[in-house]
Amino acid sequence: MENQQEEGGLTVNNLLSEVTSALDKFKLDDDAGQANYYSPYANLEKAAVLQEARCFHDPSAVRESPRKCCTVIAQLLHLTNTGQYLNSAEATEVFFGVTKLFMSDDASLRRMVYLFIKDVAETCNPDDVIIVTSSLTKDMTCDVDLYRANALRVLARIIDGAMLGAIERYVKQAVVDSSGQVSSAALVSATHLFEKNAESAAIVKRWISETTEATSSPNEMVQFHAMQLLYQIKKHDRLGMQKLVTQFSQRNTLKSPLALVLLVRYTAKLLHDEVAEGRVGSTSFQNGSTFARSGYAFLEASLRHKSEMVVYEAGKAICALPNIEPQELSPAVNVMQLFLSSPKPAVRFAAIKTVSQVAVNHPRIVSKCNEDLEALIADANRSIATLAITTLLKTGSENSVDRLLKQISVFLSEIPDEYKITIVKSLQRLCFTYPSKHRVLVGFLSNFLREEGGFDFKRSIVNAIISLIKAVPETTESSLLHLCEFIEDCEFTMLSTQILHLLGELGPGTQAPARYIRFIYNRVILENSAVRAAAVAALSKFAARCPSLRTSIVTLLKRSLDDEDDETRDRASVAVSVLKGAMEEFPYVPPPQDVEPESEPVPDEPQPGDPAAFVLLQGLPMSFDRLDRSIRSYMRAPAAMESAEQLTLSTLPVVEETAEPEPSAEDADVVGGDAVLQAAVAGQKEEKKEAVDPAAAVYAIPELASLGRVFRSSAPTELSEEETEYVVRCIKHVMPEHIILQFLIQNTVEDQRLTNCTVAIEGDSECFEVAGEIAADNIKYGETANAFTVINRNTDAPLAPCNFECVLRFGVIQVDPKTGEDESEPYDEEYPLEELEITTSDFMAKVSVPDFRKAWEEVGNSNEVLEKFALQFKKQEDAVAAVIDFLGMQPCDGTGHIKPGEGGKKPHMLHLSGVFVGGRNVLARAQVAAQGDAAGVLLKIAVRSDDAEVSRMVADCIR
Amino acid sequence: MSLLTASMPPLLPKVDAILVLDGEGNRLAGKYYGDFMKAASPTDANGSTDNATATQSAEQLRQSFERQLQSKIGGIAARPDAAEVVTVLGKTAVFCGGSAPGQGGGSVRVVHVGPAGESELVLAHLAEGMYDALSQLMGGSTDRNMILDNLELVFLLIDEHCDGGIILETDGHKLASSVLLRDEQEATRAEEQAQSKGGKGGIASGPFGGMGGDMTIAQALRQAREQILSNLNQN
Repeated sequence: MENQQEEGGLTVNNLLSEVTSALDKFKLDDDAGQANYYSPYANLEKAAVLQEARCFHDPSAVRESPRKCCTVIAQLLHLTNTGQYLNSAEATEVFFGVTKLFMSDDASLRRMVYLFIKDVAETCNPDDVIIVTSSLTKDMTCDVDLYRANALRVLARIIDGAMLGAIERYVKQAVVDSSGQVSSAALVSATHLFEKNAESAAIVKRWISETTEATSSPNEMVQFHAMQLLYQIKKHDRLGMQKLVTQFSQRNTLKSPLALVLLVRYTAKLLHDEVAEGRVGSTSFQNGSTFARSGYAFLEASLRHKSEMVVYEAGKAICALPNIEPQELSPAVNVMQLFLSSPKPAVRFAAIKTVSQVAVNHPRIVSKCNEDLEALIADANRSIATLAITTLLKTGSENSVDRLLKQISVFLSEIPDEYKITIVKSLQRLCFTYPSKHRVLVGFLSNFLREEGGFDFKRSIVNAIISLIKAVPETTESSLLHLCEFIEDCEFTMLSTQILHLLGELGPGTQAPARYIRFIYNRVILENSAVRAAAVAALSKFAARCPSLRTSIVTLLKRSLDDEDDETRDRASVAVSVLKGAMEEFPYVPPPQDVEPESEPVPDEPQPGDPAAFVLLQGLPMSFDRLDRSIRSYMRAPAAMESAEQLTLSTLPVVEETAEPEPSAEDADVVGGDAVLQAAVAGQKEEKKEAVDPAAAVYAIPELASLGRVFRSSAPTELSEEETEYVVRCIKHVMPEHIILQFLIQNTVEDQRLTNCTVAIEGDSECFEVAGEIAADNIKYGETANAFTVINRNTDAPLAPCNFECVLRFGVIQVDPKTGEDESEPYDEEYPLEELEITTSDFMAKVSVPDFRKAWEEVGNSNEVLEKFALQFKKQEDAVAAVIDFLGMQPCDGTGHIKPGEGGKKPHMLHLSGVFVGGRNVLARAQVAAQGDAAGVLLKIAVRSDDAEVSRMVADCIR
Repeated sequence: MSLLTASMPPLLPKVDAILVLDGEGNRLAGKYYGDFMKAASPTDANGSTDNATATQSAEQLRQSFERQLQSKIGGIAARPDAAEVVTVLGKTAVFCGGSAPGQGGGSVRVVHVGPAGESELVLAHLAEGMYDALSQLMGGSTDRNMILDNLELVFLLIDEHCDGGIILETDGHKLASSVLLRDEQEATRAEEQAQSKGGKGGIASGPFGGMGGDMTIAQALRQAREQILSNLNQN
């Protein structure tokens, strides 16, 4: 047999033919033995295998039956593979057994030993593992390539920097070994060591010339591994890296496709850096720095390489280059287009993925692939088909929409929900792009509502339709009817209630509200309690909004008065009683029958003062969350509970927004097909922290508490540099007629104790007057104490910003830092602080309104103040942030940030709301427009409130 | 823009996992690299109990990952030379092998899992290489039972194929040779001969491709190999 092997060359084939000839002889036996045959890995028990592993300690067993030892090791490995992990003690015991197997010279056994040590090295105590180092070092220096390669790789797992130093010589030699196996093993081990710790990395860095030599190895894998290591070593050396990349891309010595793939990636990375650091001209890479030119040229040349891997990598790299020009992009897109019709699914997938990413920014360039993309809709791999559709939806023109929809409808019924959701999202985006197609698209989406599908799929459709209603109001009526049909046969309570609520909101405002009543009432008859309650609520909204329907709706609602569900019954009885009252007060007068058809129809609206409209349609003026915080803050103010004053929503304390509302998940979903990203975004929701009321310190002091309730408290401002002897911060508590300045004074001098600390303030202002001080008695080293200064505000004079000079006055007592005993009499000391500023925005509480547009119109323009300012800001973003800061108001509707990608191009509209001291609501609309590079930013602002003086003061906040 | 940079290909390419799954998605052999699907253990190896619980939950993570993977790849049969792609939990999974539904779930799948930014073509190259090696080692078949009988070969194959996530060797023939402890030079010579003969260099396409599924080949092979080795050792 051995002879044959040497002569034959095609060893496995020869072996197999030998075996097959023998097979016939064994066949009979085998068939008989089949029933009794067990795989050595079937139903393994951990304890049994561990028992077997004892044989490692028996020298004769090891010598005579290495085969058995191999099997046992494989069984052990199989255990960990199937989740039956060895615990630390067991692993260590087995490990010691395995080390005994180094006695045997059996090659396959040795191979298994290496494998086992590598596997166990992670779970075992590193100190135990270290004992095999000497055996491994011996193997590493022997002359069998296989032993050397493996010993190297095992060693890399277990040694530390110091030991690496000891064997450095051997590893370095191995890097340039003539055997590819050994050389690769050394290079890969070095790469691992480089990442492991700084000490080893420093040693590996010294092998740079050997590594460079290895890149010209005839073995392709060695080239690949050497490139990889070279990059690791040089990655922080930009010029070195550029030189390396340029050398390799010009010399053309790399034969390995994998190594070339790496080279392409490094080139792309360097090009990205060039752009990020501004060394590429704004026009194109061909006009950029030397490296930008040669780098791009290399990528472009790689598009013609013979290996698909390299071509794809280069194409992908070009597509991902920042700010790339269409003509530089198009060769890469051409390549991708060819790949789209590749017979290999992986190639098609990779190409479509890249194309769909390009389509986000350059839909026009991609549109030449449309035909290939359409062919891919029928692809057997559903991921490819889905990506093809979502890409087409981005690149397709308006008149191809209908054809596309037809194709999708065939396709959509046979793919899993996850893909369907992706497609629904793309359709939604498409509808935003081509609003004129809304009828077709909404009809299309509704068709799928009626088909089979899980909750997430249905919900994504419902959400898509709802967001379309908001974006394209013309779709309202048809969408509502589609949704009505959907709830006729909807198994998901949550969706039914959501839609019923939407009907209640939007239905009454449509042309013929009456037609929705039937759908809603059917829910009252047929559905579970939650849906019934929602339906009753929707019905009562119709009745409140449309007096003409009241009589019939009350009849319907009466039937729910004895509903078995409490919630439904309660809602029904509230609605019925309110509506009855309203109908008596304002009986419905039907419009006269004989009116000319073309004359203006009488609007079917409740009259002013209608109680039903008020009770059933007006929402709570604040969110539940805010109400909750507001009431808590009311209760914290001393004496509030005993006060005779009636508690109404308007007298509740004003609560500021704690944080910006999270940006909606919708924004994160830019590229279709990435459901995972969204999940990640959703998972990031932070837990709300319980806000500590900063006014609690004020309420704790009876004299201050008697002044009234704190309207708002500012964030602490620093009045001293950090790391000075005395650190002072100030919180401004604004009350209707007073301002309480709370000074947090921290003593950072170890051998001093401060007594009787006050902050004296002096300012020149008509409306502010210092009324009193409360000193901090005693501040030991490291402690912080509060001193208060009360300022009276002259409410007749208009508010004007004012600066106060502050001085910290205190007595110092020297103390022994060790014992803390006093060592001196107190002596007075002064310490100058920075100026404190009281601005108008301190009197403004950041409070958002639920519906800015509505609130804006309600306030009216009678007290509106309009102003124009030119602001000295370079960037629009900075100006927006500054305006918010000047006014101290809450940005609404997500206008606080400029949408990425829009910066500087269009004027930005900022909506702000707040409550001014005294409980006056203030709204502001500000338009921030950039005027080109150096000219600064133009601000137009309109402020509305119910008091012209307040509006004026707020507008004057801009500086 | 941010998305494009997020999908930048890794500069130090590493695979996250290599799995050999049977038709039902059970892991016959496999290896997870780096931090992928590793439970976050608060402290490293502070006593055996900690360790045990940490690995336990890692195993659960892995199993749930494999279930999701299976739900996507089950029923897709990929040709040995044209790997299929799916995305699972934001990772790209490329695989070879498997059988279409209704053909019996005998054939295993070799799955390579890589980060989303990794080139699918590179992963496919790896999967195809390893699948090639696997079928050579198993005598042309990739039947589940065959694999189970020769698990140690599979373990060795994965080890020769990939070291700590870094790919060591992709050529199916070279991989099979080093698993079977054949000398590399001899293997290259064999390869050269195969090429000079104008053959495709693939032993997998040899005359035994059709004989898969018979368990006896594996046993016979093993016996034969053992004998050769003992002969070698005696010399």
